Amino acid sequence: MDVWKEYEHNEITHSAAHHLMAIDDLVEKLGYARVSDVARRLNITRGSVSISLQPLKKAGLINQDENRHLQLSEVGRQLVHAIKTKRLLLQRLFHEVLGVEPRQAEIDACKLEHLISNETANRLVSFLRFVDSDESRARELLRLWAEFDPSCAHEPGRCPSCETHCMEETVPLPPRAPADRAPPGRRPEVSRK
Amino acid sequence: MKLSSEEIVQELNRIFDEEVEAATRYLHLRSAVRGLDRVLVERILKEGFDETIRHAEVIAQKIRALGHVPRLEIQVSCPSEPVSGREALRQALTFEEAALECYQDLLRKVEGDVVLEEFARSQIATESEHVAQLKELLSE
Repeated sequence: MDVWKEYEHNEITHSAAHHLMAIDDLVEKLGYARVSDVARRLNITRGSVSISLQPLKKAGLINQDENRHLQLSEVGRQLVHAIKTKRLLLQRLFHEVLGVEPRQAEIDACKLEHLISNETANRLVSFLRFVDSDESRARELLRLWAEFDPSCAHEPGRCPSCETHCMEETVPLPPRAPADRAPPGRRPEVSRK
Repeated sequence: MKLSSEEIVQELNRIFDEEVEAATRYLHLRSAVRGLDRVLVERILKEGFDETIRHAEVIAQKIRALGHVPRLEIQVSCPSEPVSGREALRQALTFEEAALECYQDLLRKVEGDVVLEEFARSQIATESEHVAQLKELLSE
């Protein structure tokens, strides 16, 4: 199986995911969603929204009533809820566990939310449940992680993560103080938008 | 509620985006259309493109007349796939209807401003005609 081609088999595109989430948010907030509301929310033109909604209607993810109000179908709703859950899980993983700065965690979660499989999301839920299950154990895990010195000897052959090239050289990072990381044992606020 | 000059410009900028984006889509569709009816549909799409660009120019002039410079903010992505004449017209209908709704919204918002009201009305008349023509072409 060509793993790289799996991306093409993804259920929906990034743009489609945001159109569906915008409809869901608007219906929740206003009780209805029109093309103009979606356009305003996504800061794109109505023409663009109308064109993007065509394949989603065809796929049975959204319905439009006689007043031109948009609604998610049951399948669409399930898809949106799965994407929102995945975003939250990824945000928590990146920020609370890995210590990625909140804004970057949100951006990266947004990029991946519609791409990861349900299988991976389920394992992520399990892992976060493990972290949440026992305050002292989670604190200890995060403390050990925060104290861990990730510097390496630049010996790719001996590092399972690097194999051929040293990751520190191939994925350069801006220098950060250790204090930038989320302190162990404390749950920083994660936006649930 | 009367809109301020800035709010009117904001509305006009939104319509400017719609028109320029629609023109870009017409341009792309013209090159993408395939099939037996290609020659006929291409001509209709060319007319749509010309008309849409003219509308964009008029909007830009309106914005300029209000002492502002138009702001363009569009993000268009058109796939590199052929489309049938019917599909091209269906897409054109989709964004023409969106443009029509924009002018209808504008008319509601500029109520009391005779000049802009007249402008919105004439645009609604033109866009409605386009929409009707496209619907007629698409009817079985």
